[in-house]
Amino acid sequence: MAGKNKPVIALTGATGFLGSHLMATMLKKGYSIIVLGRTAKNESLKERISRLLQWFGIDRCLDQVTCIDADLSQYNLGIENKEYSRLCSVADYVIHCASDTSFSESKREKVMAANVNNLQGILEFSKNANVSFFHYISTAYVAGTGVTYCKEILSSAKSFTNVYEESKAAAENIISLFCQKNSISLSIIRPSIVYGDSQSGRSLKFNALYFPIRSAQSIRDIYLNDLRNNGGIKATKNGIYIDKDGYLFLPLKIYLPHEGDLNIIPVDYFVNATIKIIENCSQGGIYHLTNNFPTTMKIVAKYYEQLMKVRGVEIIYGPQPDNLLRNPAEELFDRFIEPYRPYLSDNRVFDRTNTSLATDNLNPPEFTYDIFKTCMEYAIEVNWGASIFG
Amino acid sequence: MQNFVNKSDDKKTPYETARNCRHYAMCKIDFLGSGVCESGLEKQFVSFYPQGRMILYEALAGNKISVTQKCIEIAGSCNLCGKCDYQCYFLNEMRPTKVMEALKNHVETYIKNGGKIKLSKDDDLLAEIKKIVGDNWATNDEAITVTYSHDLSAISDPKVPDYVVMPNTKEEISSLVKLFNKNKITYTIRGNGQNLLGFAINDGVIIDLNRMKTIEFDEKNWLVKVGPGVTAFDLQKQAQKRGYRINASEPAALLCANIMCSGIMSTFSTTYGINADNFINAEFVNHSGSLFNLNEISSPNLYSYKNLQHKDSPGICVSASIRLHPVTDDEKGILVPFETLNNALDFIKDCSVRHIGLALGIVGAEYISTFLSPTKKMASEIKNIFVDKLNIPWLVVVIGDKYAIRSISEMGFPFFDQNMFKSLYLGLPSLKTAQWLDLVKELSDDEPYSYLKVKSFAELFETALSPSPRLYSQEVDKELSPFFEKLFSRQEMTDLVWLNMYRIMSTRLGRKKPFLPALIYLPIDNDLINDFSDKFRLIAEKHGIDNDFGFITPIDNGKRCIFEYDFFYDYNDPDEIQRIRQVAMESNMLIDDYSVKTGTVKGHPYVLYQGFCRKENLLYS
Repeated sequence: MAGKNKPVIALTGATGFLGSHLMATMLKKGYSIIVLGRTAKNESLKERISRLLQWFGIDRCLDQVTCIDADLSQYNLGIENKEYSRLCSVADYVIHCASDTSFSESKREKVMAANVNNLQGILEFSKNANVSFFHYISTAYVAGTGVTYCKEILSSAKSFTNVYEESKAAAENIISLFCQKNSISLSIIRPSIVYGDSQSGRSLKFNALYFPIRSAQSIRDIYLNDLRNNGGIKATKNGIYIDKDGYLFLPLKIYLPHEGDLNIIPVDYFVNATIKIIENCSQGGIYHLTNNFPTTMKIVAKYYEQLMKVRGVEIIYGPQPDNLLRNPAEELFDRFIEPYRPYLSDNRVFDRTNTSLATDNLNPPEFTYDIFKTCMEYAIEVNWGASIFG
Repeated sequence: MQNFVNKSDDKKTPYETARNCRHYAMCKIDFLGSGVCESGLEKQFVSFYPQGRMILYEALAGNKISVTQKCIEIAGSCNLCGKCDYQCYFLNEMRPTKVMEALKNHVETYIKNGGKIKLSKDDDLLAEIKKIVGDNWATNDEAITVTYSHDLSAISDPKVPDYVVMPNTKEEISSLVKLFNKNKITYTIRGNGQNLLGFAINDGVIIDLNRMKTIEFDEKNWLVKVGPGVTAFDLQKQAQKRGYRINASEPAALLCANIMCSGIMSTFSTTYGINADNFINAEFVNHSGSLFNLNEISSPNLYSYKNLQHKDSPGICVSASIRLHPVTDDEKGILVPFETLNNALDFIKDCSVRHIGLALGIVGAEYISTFLSPTKKMASEIKNIFVDKLNIPWLVVVIGDKYAIRSISEMGFPFFDQNMFKSLYLGLPSLKTAQWLDLVKELSDDEPYSYLKVKSFAELFETALSPSPRLYSQEVDKELSPFFEKLFSRQEMTDLVWLNMYRIMSTRLGRKKPFLPALIYLPIDNDLINDFSDKFRLIAEKHGIDNDFGFITPIDNGKRCIFEYDFFYDYNDPDEIQRIRQVAMESNMLIDDYSVKTGTVKGHPYVLYQGFCRKENLLYS
């Protein structure tokens, strides 16, 4: 049942990672949500949402959700006039979570279209609906490159690690101007890298933190199979063997440009902090949902070795020597982690003044082995997302 | 003698197997190096090959003919050696040996039960024919004639000829033509029955040219003169032994018949050309029984081309002087993957214009997975992996020397080289369960297939797939797996150059169902090709016919290409035959429309009996 006096939220990106987790908790808290989304190839929007709610164990909340097929690139979001007007009359807040998270330069056009060009529709909707708040889910990395201390202010960065960061920074500025002009309160929520639930390990997406682990696990499995079933000729050639403790010794030197951190937060923290911001802050602002105690790749590598019964992973800070001889596992792993490399040894420090105030000093947990284990075991259980819905 | 029948995993009855013979004549060539049916080699009539016995058994079991003298001879001549199981399983996953055994049993039981043997008598015409070709090479025995009632085209109604004759010389052919003209007897020339339009079957007399297998090399002139009974496979083998290559179509196709019908085309046509590019001269027996050759001024001008459907044949081609091509020792094959057909088209056009590569061809995921997989089931699984996991819906096969391969590398296209192809091929079973494929797909996010550029990827790929002949052969009937293991230990079976030269895999396309191709010559115009592809698909879908993109090969420096689109049908289902006929008709109408509209599109049916024409006359007139 919808909670009394709770604002009605129009939410985009409800079928994505952050959006779905946010939707689930808000529904549990009694919010009514208008999901503005799209029908997938073989599944209606309602079916998609219903499947997600089932996964969150809150099927009962389906009647708090109004599913509206919307196309953010279209006039009036592609919604028929009468329905559009009706939605405008009921929506109190907008949470704009929809985003193309691709880092790939080859997808620049698509990313910019989704994250920047398509803003107009949802902003116009906010104006037409006369919403009191526009909440925008951005990223901590709009700060761009070459910055060490990142304040909770609009980014004026000129260079970025990838098109995703660039598009989010551009979007923040556009949204900010629009909201200012139309007197809509705005909060910009900037999470760093988000992984699964720190308690249960559950997650709907397995990129970012998961990707290097999954890559390393795949390479491990290839050599384990070679050693166990094919005489290990290839493994032996590359100095890979099973040691006396039953651990696979797989030399994997990972070069990172310089010392630095890996700033990760669990999705449960993201959700709780975001809801606190939505509920507590009346004026709006910019909020860094980042970790004051970031981890490092050295720690993650240690966790990985322990969990996967592997030895030989070495994190080396500094430039990769010229003409370095690399084994096939290292070559491929390097290629696997390339898009994520800038985030694996990051020197940026994030200001959290606004966040601490708005969230009553709610902080993300330290990334412990237990959290790592819980999250990775869940990831493996659902085959990195392939069998998440059975 | 080993008998394979009872141990087979194949659950089809002999009759069902016989009815599903594809009539590809592949059992007449030794494409696996495992030998060819001995009785076929000795007796020559198709009836003594597994294909003939399949048709014969179907006719006997279906009570279409009675047991005849020749029938006893045909059944008795099979020693159940199992060679046809190797060959037919390799191509179609069928086990003909059980049909051979059923045929023997049928005949033995018939005789044991006192059945009357039907005796065929020589009539006057047959006696005359025998005077020309000798007693052993002409017959009207139903057990022989019925085996000539089918050809590759299953959409034409079968016709049983009255006589079958196998001449050995052009003079004999000339005499036969004169005899038939005098007696007003219809005669039809047959090679290996590879005609797609049903023109190798007829009533009257079938002249089977399979005895005329002369091969004379003229190396100083880069030529080889072949008789009309020489197959593409056998000539390629001979040419390769001498260090040459010929441009060859289907391996079981007879070269003269092939040129005659529509001209030779293959992926090597990119460099070697089509139609008149492939030969220097040819000899004919005309419809009056007189001989002529193309280099005589008074000869009919077969180099010309007229846009006429079903033009009359110029006579019987009794020899052709085929061009030999040089081969270098650095030739290799590669597979270049593409996400879209348009990208693949741009690539082949670019390569062709720049003269990069000897052979080029675009194939879809259906084609490549069917070629590589030993079974239908696996082909379907592998197709899904190619499309969904590897994101490879299109591949361009390139054969080229080291300079060509280096150029493609410098052009920035990632590719599967020969070694990776071998790993992929012999490691296919591992691909089905490979968890790491999802990662590979994500690696392509920034630049498609960029993992292929990772220096040691090939080694890791090989480690991951653990390819081996043993692994690959585990997918086939258990009883055949030792043979397959040995077969795939042979280097040529995984050599892209060899496979493209001999094309032994292409008939696998008909493994699921026989297919009818629509073939077009047209410019490499992306919109036009996509349009054709969409419209062919719509026509097929309207009639409930399975269909898929076949291949595209650029020709004449990228100015034109050959495009094949395939329609699949069950030729034992009369309703489906009706529907495929409709599809064929509508497809031809579509080609006609575009031909008129564009002035640059030519449909394959218009080339029939004009295979000797200059390609320029065909493509640009």
